[in-house]
Formats: sequence, structure tokens, C-alpha cells
Amino acid sequence: MTVLERTRMLRSMMLIRAFEEALARRKDHGFQLLSSGEEAVAVGLCSALTSRDQLLTGGRSIGPALARGLAPERVMAELLGRSSGTNRGKGGRGHLADPRAGFFGAHAVVGGNISIAVGVALSMQMSGSNGVVAILFGDGASGVGALHESLNIAAIWNLPVLFVCNNNQFSVSTPRSAALAPGKLSDIGLAFKMPSRTIDGMDVEHVAGVAGEAVEKIRAGSGPQFLECISHRFCSHSTTARETRSRDELASIRSLCPIERHVKGLRAAGILDSESEMKLENEVTEIVAAALAFADASEFPAPTEALTDVW
Amino acid sequence: MSGKPAVTTEKIFFREAISRAMREEMRSNDRIFIIGQDVGAFGGSYREFDGLFGEFGATRVRDTPVAEAAMIGVGVGAAAAGCRPLVSITYMDFMMLGFDPLINYGAKLRYKTGGQLTAPVVVKTTAGAKGQGVAHSQCIESWLMSVPGLKVVAPSNPADAYGLLKAALREDGPVVFIDHKRLFPVAGEVPLAETMVPIGHARVCRAGTDLTITTHSFMTRVALEAAKLLQADGISAEIIDLRTLAPLDMRTIADSARRTGALLTLEEGQVTCGVGLEVIGRVHELLGPIPSARLGALPAPVSSNRVLEAACLPDADRVMNAAKMLLEQPGRPARRRIADFVSDRQ
Repeated sequence: MTVLERTRMLRSMMLIRAFEEALARRKDHGFQLLSSGEEAVAVGLCSALTSRDQLLTGGRSIGPALARGLAPERVMAELLGRSSGTNRGKGGRGHLADPRAGFFGAHAVVGGNISIAVGVALSMQMSGSNGVVAILFGDGASGVGALHESLNIAAIWNLPVLFVCNNNQFSVSTPRSAALAPGKLSDIGLAFKMPSRTIDGMDVEHVAGVAGEAVEKIRAGSGPQFLECISHRFCSHSTTARETRSRDELASIRSLCPIERHVKGLRAAGILDSESEMKLENEVTEIVAAALAFADASEFPAPTEALTDVW
Repeated sequence: MSGKPAVTTEKIFFREAISRAMREEMRSNDRIFIIGQDVGAFGGSYREFDGLFGEFGATRVRDTPVAEAAMIGVGVGAAAAGCRPLVSITYMDFMMLGFDPLINYGAKLRYKTGGQLTAPVVVKTTAGAKGQGVAHSQCIESWLMSVPGLKVVAPSNPADAYGLLKAALREDGPVVFIDHKRLFPVAGEVPLAETMVPIGHARVCRAGTDLTITTHSFMTRVALEAAKLLQADGISAEIIDLRTLAPLDMRTIADSARRTGALLTLEEGQVTCGVGLEVIGRVHELLGPIPSARLGALPAPVSSNRVLEAACLPDADRVMNAAKMLLEQPGRPARRRIADFVSDRQ
């Protein structure tokens, strides 16, 4: 991994954190599904994808959308309901999409995007493209029947799909241990005879490395793979949902911050110093401020938009 | 020169109309493919895909495991990514397993992405009762009629099956194509030339003056039978085959109801929140109240027991009785319930 790539991953994670924190301070968006603590999964995964590939996600999609390189101002506009948003303000939270940028889209029904991703992969296989589809879902989606149906079909048809379970260990308030029987969630992939691994999702370089190897093999035609990334959700399920964990528990989780961890690594490698870190901080702060300004300067859709693009 | 008229149609079975439409469309558009259970070498549960596997191979005529949620999801996803799949769901009852990708994703995709993506998928499924029992006989098309973004067609004869399937395969968004177990053995004339039946157009399949009967799918045949019985009693029924349930062709329906002044709706599914109720509601919005009545299955599961199945479903006699009762009470809705007709017959 080059110095540039390692620095870019830091910048990308910092952008997600700053973006989500700025958004969370706003009160004019209903609520949002934040991914603080889970940035390394999105950024590591996206570092493995090229412009030929497509990423689909569940509803917790701000981090993955930004990591995929979507324009922050258009994402912000979408989340604030403006017509300059990626989806013209009509999708909103949980439905961000910019397929031309390789982000086929989020879908807020838990587990609902997994079979769709397999369909996108089938389309790629049939058209002879050598693209790969990555589908990012949570541990909450791992109990959904459609996941198991989709894994089976992807396996029997040898489709170019990377199933990535971002296991943040909570389905709203229900802990993974109370909800899912498998020892590791990657055991689910093994049942369908696909290469399956469980890795530390707080280590961005590790995620990037493992995802990169998987994508390379899938692109070469070796069939689908399953990757479970263990992460931690720093916030409650949504900006309006009650936090169910204790302060002590949260403090210990937050000490595992993937951004701080990557900063430490880059500093130890002599790639980053406080000056360059500050420079990155300033850059992402400016990008987020510009995104908010762009969104605020944009119009809401006209009420007549309620009836466009329906049929 | 012989005086013999040129042959412009061929008589084929309903199932052959489906395979012909598929074959023609698959030949002209290589993005069209079929996925479903037993659609390959087996040729479909009703042999409606006969010959396609041989011509197009396993890549374009794909057998799937029993997994309706993923089958529809994969079809919708492939459609969103540029293909034009037809997903075959053996029985309409099983569509419930795939409603999430169809309704939550496919039907909303164009809207929610601000026009960036659409899902041109056809979900073909078989409705109706023919001895298959409580979970293999249902007609739940009215459930689908209220989904914005979803078109629904239900032909009653080979020509319409052929033309509507071709039209469905060229749509930009999702279409549910509903056939019927009792229609597959039916033969009918189909144009030899490649033609389409546009979505959104009902057909007056029998002209009449005393009342309008709207119906669709297999019940169209029952309505036509009933019209003959009514004719013997001097009552002239106009029969409208809706063909497309969403969007409804309200112009054709309302024009007819205005002329005849009475409206009977007939369907094989439930009358509660049914196709007929929607037709009557919209006609009343357009014309004001006119004598109207609904006829459908009894409010009960449809058993595989043939006595109970027959007890549940409308037949020509019940249609005739419902029509007469409607006409006997001008200006007022029919007061008796379908159960009364059953007791009449016993």
C-alpha cells in the first residue's frame, strides 16, 4: 500500500466523521443513521473497488457513499431534502444512489438490498463486464431470509459478489449475541462453500488488504466471497434513538477509534506529523462547511415533484 | 385469384402464446432472460416456456432454487442494472414471498433515485383455482393495484396474452403479468404478424345495452357464458375484459357504464378491497352513483376439495343472478349477499 493510499484512507475516514458530526448537529433532517466507529469498514472496502464496480449498502450509508467518492455536497443536499441532492431530494436517508459513481445505492429495508446486489452481479456476468459487486449489510441483516437465498444463488451461479457484513454488534438495541446463532457470521458464507473470513473492522489497512485480495479473486472469476468485519457503533442506532449502553461501555468502545488507530500507525511509519494531520483536519472541515453551504443554498423540490418519476 | 381471405391469424393455445411472445422478444433483445423454478428443460409448470431452453440455453433460461424473495430480488436488481428479466413465480400465492424487492425496491426505484434507475422487470405468475388448495389458488391482483410504479396485466385469451407479454417486456418499469391455471389449455386466434397489445387498454368483448360487466382473466369466460344465459332472458350484457388492472382504462369502462346505466363487477378474488370495488368507486367518481354490484369469491379460503372450491367461486349462474338482481333494483345497490345465491342453488 502506497503512502498516498494510506493517507487518502485517513482523509476519507476523517471526512466521514466530520460530515456526520456536522449533520448530527442539524435539527432539520428528521433523523440520520450515523456510522461513527465504522469508518474503517467503508473506507477499507471502497479502497478495493474500481470504477467498474458497484457498491450497494443497507440504510447506514453515509460513510460508504462518501468513501465511494460521491460528491459530499450532493450527499448533504440529499440528506437535507434538497433537489440538488444525488437523488433530487427524493430518496433521502437510507436511499442515497449515484450509480455512475459506482454507488448503485443504499436501500433502507434491512436485508432488502442483498438480492438486488446479486441481480446487479448477474447483469455484470451476463454482459461480460469484469466488474465486481460489493454488498454491505449489517449484523441485523444477517438473520434475514433473503441473505441466505441470495448467498445460495450467488454461489450456484458463481456470481462476482463480495458479501460484506459490517458487524457493529447491534440491531438497534438488540445485541448480536441475542439475535444470531452462528459462532461467527462468516460461518454463514461457509455453509454456501464460499471463501469466508471474519476480520477486525477497526483496522482500515487490514480491511483494505483483505477486501482487495477478495475483489481480485472475484474479478478473476472465482465466485462470491463473504467477509465479516467486526466494528463498533459509537452512536445509538439513529440520531433520535435512545442509547442503551452505559457510559463506561461507550468510553471503552470509543477508545478503539479506527481513525485514531490509523493516525497512530501513520505517525509510527513517519508518514504523518501533527502539521499534516492538522492540514487534513482543515481540509475536511472546509469540505463539510462547503457541503452544508451548497445544500442550504439549494431549493427543496417543488410539490409537483411528488408525481414525477413514479411510473 | 381465389376468393379465399388471406390467413392472418393462427389458432394456438394460451401457453403457446406465452412461449411465442417470449421467443420473439428474446430473439430481438438479448438483454431479455427468464429465471424461475423449472423453466429450463422442463419448460415451465404449464409448458408455457416450451422450446425456449433449447433455443436460448441455460444462460438465458435459468432454473432457480425455491427462493421467491431472491428470485424477484435478483430479477429486479438485474433489471436495474440494464437487463430485462422475466421472473416466473409459479403460483401467485408465492408472490407474497417476493413482495419486498418488487414493491419496496422495484416499484419505487425510479422515484427514489430521482430518475437515475428503473427496473424493467416482468414478474409472470399464475393465479386462480383448479383443485390446488388454499395456498395455491389465490387471486391477489387487487393487492398490487395500489402500488405506485407497478403495472398489472391479466389477459383472458391467447391473443391478449401474446400481445400484453410483448408489451410488458418493452416497458420501462416493473410489470406483473398474471395468467391463470384454467386458461393454459384454452386455444384462440393470435395474429400471425408480430403485434403488441398496449398496456392500459380494456376491451369490450361483447356489446350490450342493459348492464356492463367488468372482469378479467379466466372470469371473462365465465362472464361471456353468463351473458348468453342473460340473453335468453332478454337481458343484454356488455362485457368488458379489463386486461390491464393498473392503470385501469377508465374511459372504456365509464363510457360503457354510462350507456348501460348499471355496473356489475366480476372477479375470482375477494370482493373486499377488490378489483371490482376500485372499478365501482372510480365509475361513481366519474358518473355519480349508478346501480352497481360486486361479485367474487366467498370470503373463505379456496379449498382443493372440488365441492368446496366450486362453492367458493363465481360461475355463470351466479353472474346471471347477480345481474338480474342488480337490474331489479334500479338506483339501489344489490342487497343480497353472494351466500344467498349459494343457498338458491342448493
